[in-house]
Amino acid sequence: MIKIVARLQVIYVNFMIWLVGRLLEAASKVDKRIQEEIVALPTAFAFSMRVLPSGPEFTVQKQPDGTLYCKRKNDKIPAELTISFKHVKHAFLVLSFQESTARSFANDRMLLDGEIDLGMVVVRCLDRMESLVLPKFIAMRAVKRYPSISLSKKLTLAVKIYVQVLAGLFRRGHV
Amino acid sequence: MSNNFYEFFCPVKIIAGQAALEHAPYELSIRGGSKALVITDSGIKAAGLLEHVLTVFEKSQVEIVTVYDQVPPDSCLSVIKEIAGIYRQRQCDSMIAIGGGSVIDTSKGVNILVSEGGDDLLAYAGHGHLKRPLKPLFVVPTTAGTGSEVTSIAVISDSEKGRKVAFGSHVLFPDVAILDPRMTQSLPPFITAMTAMDALTHACEAAIGLAKNPISDAYAHGAIKKISQNLMTVMDNPGDLDSRMELAEAATMAGIAFSNSLVGVVHSLGHSVGAVCHLPHGMCMSIFLPYALEYNLESCREEIAELLLPLAGAERFAQVPEQQRAETSIGAIREIRDQLYQHCQLPRTLKETGKVNKDQFESIARATLNDGSIIFNAKEVDFDDAMSLLEAAWD
Repeated sequence: MIKIVARLQVIYVNFMIWLVGRLLEAASKVDKRIQEEIVALPTAFAFSMRVLPSGPEFTVQKQPDGTLYCKRKNDKIPAELTISFKHVKHAFLVLSFQESTARSFANDRMLLDGEIDLGMVVVRCLDRMESLVLPKFIAMRAVKRYPSISLSKKLTLAVKIYVQVLAGLFRRGHV
Repeated sequence: MSNNFYEFFCPVKIIAGQAALEHAPYELSIRGGSKALVITDSGIKAAGLLEHVLTVFEKSQVEIVTVYDQVPPDSCLSVIKEIAGIYRQRQCDSMIAIGGGSVIDTSKGVNILVSEGGDDLLAYAGHGHLKRPLKPLFVVPTTAGTGSEVTSIAVISDSEKGRKVAFGSHVLFPDVAILDPRMTQSLPPFITAMTAMDALTHACEAAIGLAKNPISDAYAHGAIKKISQNLMTVMDNPGDLDSRMELAEAATMAGIAFSNSLVGVVHSLGHSVGAVCHLPHGMCMSIFLPYALEYNLESCREEIAELLLPLAGAERFAQVPEQQRAETSIGAIREIRDQLYQHCQLPRTLKETGKVNKDQFESIARATLNDGSIIFNAKEVDFDDAMSLLEAAWD
């Protein structure tokens, strides 16, 4: 039973790592707050989120138009900043929204390799994206403070983000 | 069971007390050091503190190859590059840092360059870029505040870009910290006050932040107790070596606490004000501490209430109703600040510093949001929050 639960956690984390990268890409195209954060990142800046020791990862790169692009299978994009979960169980806690990114850092479950000030920008982008795409009662557990945003605006942005993700699948295939 | 989890690590050997300095040559030699570079500043040299160290190395198995005594008040990249050049040219194999936070962090920066190679320190900026052990580094603190002698972090000024750059790695811990009361005896009252408030802030933030844990709590509370019991004694009687030693121990204990629990918005604001307005770090800590505690009340009231016991003692703690303890803790810190203002005019507000302009608030607030310590603050801080904190601390 324990092995089955562990296997299900791995499958879930693999899927969520895949999804979070694409949600960030999509959110960067529709949300002004995330776009304002991206302005602070250097040109062509790329960051990764991965699970140690050899788990799944996504890499996202800043584009010339100020949006983010999530690396696909054959792209070669070296990351200047990496956020690593030390174990898939730690990743599961964050990606199943039982623990915020800040709490995960505080609990030493995550490592930040790269310039710390840029890492803070990335964390704010992740928090904002999660606040938009998750129902409020779940998002409140995923971020330190749920933002002040009307339900209609949140729903509009969330729909746009999910549509962008789906459109991306059709444009480039699902990898 | 809850998801609680923490890590705690401090590999620094601490040698403390009477004649602690005399142990340095032996300790350095067993770590392979035979040709040491001493790094310090002109104030330490002028105060005669350098002589204490040089004397104990005379006729020892370790040679002090040369002394660099021009470290500026704000450690910077160009100085680190210059000292690394001297280290290589004189074929040193170890370092002894004698001074406060700037000297210690400068020495850590030098250690990165001479151990990893190259002249571009920024290539190692951030967390986790250093993987292999560095050269032996001994630290002799001459202030009781920074705690850098027991941390894995160095903060260096990038004067070209007007920012502070953080370096973090488990290999950045010094090998040995030597706490000798002779080395802080002549510290002027104003610097004694500033650095003690720095240590108090380390302990308070470590005890209330997101990354707090039971072991770091013990160090933090112990440090707060030592500071609250000994700071005014030292201010009234600077030659009291026992109380000086208590403050030195408190600073190191607070350093161990925050090296594991990290710090919060007081440091985020302090780093930014320091970078923009060039105020001393300890002064910034002293100014922001009560305002930041008030800001965090709704997120960690219980933890702030628990600070009252080490701050005010058991009797006062017992007298204060439970629901008033958090506010009383903040009040106790304000009392310490008022006493220090009476004693040596340590500013309590940004306005009292005479060096901060309200026009600078926006750039300070933006820098605050990108400071690494902000993520460990219990309560979220956004731009408006940072501006409100700056306004609160203005006057």
